[in-house]
Amino acid sequence: MTEQSVNDNTAPAATRRDFIKATAATGAAALLVSGNYAFSQGSDQIRIGLIGCGGRGTGAAMQALNADPGVVLTAMGDVFAEQIDSHQSALKGEPSVAARVLVPAEHKFVGLDAYRRVLDTNVDVVLLTTPPGFRPLHIKAAVDAGKHIFAEKPMGTDAAGVRMALEAVRLAKAKKLNFANGFCFRKNLSHREFYQKIHDGAIGQVRNVHATYLTGPVKSMPPASSRPAGMSDVEWQIKNWYNFVWSCGDGLIEQACHSIDKILWAYNDVPPVKCVATGGRVLPNNEGNIYDHIDVFYEWADGSRGTMAQRQIPCQANDNADYIMGSKGYASIEHGWQPAIHTDPPWKYSGRQRDMYQVEHDELFACIRKGTPMNDGEQMARSTLAGLMGRMAAYTGEEITWEMMQKSQENIFPPHLHWDGNLTIAPMAIPGKYQFA
Amino acid sequence: MMSGRSLKTYIRAAIQRESRKRSRIFGVILPVLLFLSCAVAAFAADGSDPDPQAAPPAGALKSYALTLPGSVVKINMVAIPSGTVTVGGKPIPIKPFWIADTETAWEAFDEFLKSGDPSPAYDQTKYKPDAIARPSKSYILPDLGWGHHGFPAINISILNATMFCRWLSSKTGQKYRLPTEAEWEYACRAGSKNDPTNEEVKKEAWYADTRTHPVGKKQPNAWKLYDMLGNTGEWAIDPAGNPVLCGPTFKDPLDKVKPSTHAYQVPAWQATDPQLPKSRWWLSDGNFCGFRIVREP
Repeated sequence: MTEQSVNDNTAPAATRRDFIKATAATGAAALLVSGNYAFSQGSDQIRIGLIGCGGRGTGAAMQALNADPGVVLTAMGDVFAEQIDSHQSALKGEPSVAARVLVPAEHKFVGLDAYRRVLDTNVDVVLLTTPPGFRPLHIKAAVDAGKHIFAEKPMGTDAAGVRMALEAVRLAKAKKLNFANGFCFRKNLSHREFYQKIHDGAIGQVRNVHATYLTGPVKSMPPASSRPAGMSDVEWQIKNWYNFVWSCGDGLIEQACHSIDKILWAYNDVPPVKCVATGGRVLPNNEGNIYDHIDVFYEWADGSRGTMAQRQIPCQANDNADYIMGSKGYASIEHGWQPAIHTDPPWKYSGRQRDMYQVEHDELFACIRKGTPMNDGEQMARSTLAGLMGRMAAYTGEEITWEMMQKSQENIFPPHLHWDGNLTIAPMAIPGKYQFA
Repeated sequence: MMSGRSLKTYIRAAIQRESRKRSRIFGVILPVLLFLSCAVAAFAADGSDPDPQAAPPAGALKSYALTLPGSVVKINMVAIPSGTVTVGGKPIPIKPFWIADTETAWEAFDEFLKSGDPSPAYDQTKYKPDAIARPSKSYILPDLGWGHHGFPAINISILNATMFCRWLSSKTGQKYRLPTEAEWEYACRAGSKNDPTNEEVKKEAWYADTRTHPVGKKQPNAWKLYDMLGNTGEWAIDPAGNPVLCGPTFKDPLDKVKPSTHAYQVPAWQATDPQLPKSRWWLSDGNFCGFRIVREP
């Protein structure tokens, strides 16, 4: 890697709001110079940049490359250099895409501002796959830079961030930029047919959805004693990002958001009016501050209900399913995501099976090619906010309304993130003491 | 009302009747029962039944119940005698060995999982032949919510199954490993040269189904091994040293439920793993991939 390609990691990253101010003026210019429309002017190439080079992000890059033969990967950014190098090698090891992994050393960016450096290159599309705490900042910056976007779920880890991202995706719509979110079940063909049948009345009016995400820990927090000497608070927390609310959002937001998204899907994307929740932590979490279980009880205006049972504890009884009760029948997605409507006669999906992770990129790049922009940012914001509503109810022990969440000022993203900086860990929320913000 | 004398007579007669009954039990019935139970025990424990079809001799090996170290989880290890099996048209001699009577169930696999730290995400480590590592965290729910206690471990890669055996060997000081393809088919055939009849398959196998079932619930084969013909496929090593999934699975139709059914891993078994590199430990689309262990003498 050349010297100029490596961020020295000492420059403080801008806060969200500083960055918004700084980039607002340059957004329109960036759109003109970024080469967004090169492919529509005769070139077959669509240049993509990967921001967040973990396994899932690199998988998304693979799917983007597979989506269209003209896609080339030309820039990569991460806070850890070894992530970039090892995952670039992984992509190079895939025969179907290796020749289109064209990331020169000067386009590999390391540091908290790596996203900005990727955006400053001539990429047409960015894949935003860092830990979700960074997502609002990256979405906003990418829209301002005039890039088409694939953004992994969820949209953020606090209400302020989601609102910021929501404004950005609305601006993206005005700019005719494509925006595809990573709530991948929406791209699952069997699920699409299933929910269409639910919406068409296959089980009558939906009265209750019970969703489960009962599984084990995702990335357990190591003991503080294992922290290498000299490693800053910020690096330590980002290295173990899953265990901190500001970066992960909690298991309910980072992982079970898929199930919350499907609860809303069943209700035709009408958000709940209120919820209560219970949660806590059973397993020691060393220095982390996320819960390992939250159960949310949502209610809609007409009294319909939705429950979200989430757990990340090693247990015998695991489940990741959706059980939908209607006024005339029952439907479910269980047994490894197999949708079924348990009516007489019963319905099971018999159509084409396709990898939903691939479909989300196939559809995004098809829209880019056609010049018919897609934008599912509002759905992403709504589902993420419904998750945050549940987390807020669990943390505070209060009933939380959708209206409250619309006005929530919760902003837990560290205000002045600096790679070598100190970063106090917020205490784990205690219901009854944690304050709604 | 009964008089005092007649009562004594009645009691004496009753004692004599009971005595004759006991005499019959101890003199005739019990010896017969003892003989039968010894014969059954000898078959179960020694595999020394003289009928080669039902239970050929296993030499000095005795069947036993293995208790996984530090737990109450047991795996029944059945002694298998030496013999010959024809695989791919070639006769292959088989030395005596032990094989688990069921596919490895989750409760056994969980003991391995919690015995140490998981491997890092996107693990690409080149493991030495004697290395022991635990799987990385699975991207998906490994048991798919199909059931855990009593259900066979699924979505298991060859590396995952191999490491389970190494871990178990290190804990017990005994040599546990995956079977060779020949050993597996030999154990599956259980002394029979013919493929099982449809009636036998229906009694012994979970097939043409949509999911796995708890292990050991169908009838065993002639050597008291359960689910050899269905439920999950089972990892083994082929004559060239390559991993092969032996046996039919719950997905297979009746006409494929044969001891010789086997499959080699293809990309489709991991097609929907959204990560890159894809997991080396878990097969996102391998809900039919499990294993059972063998032990060398």
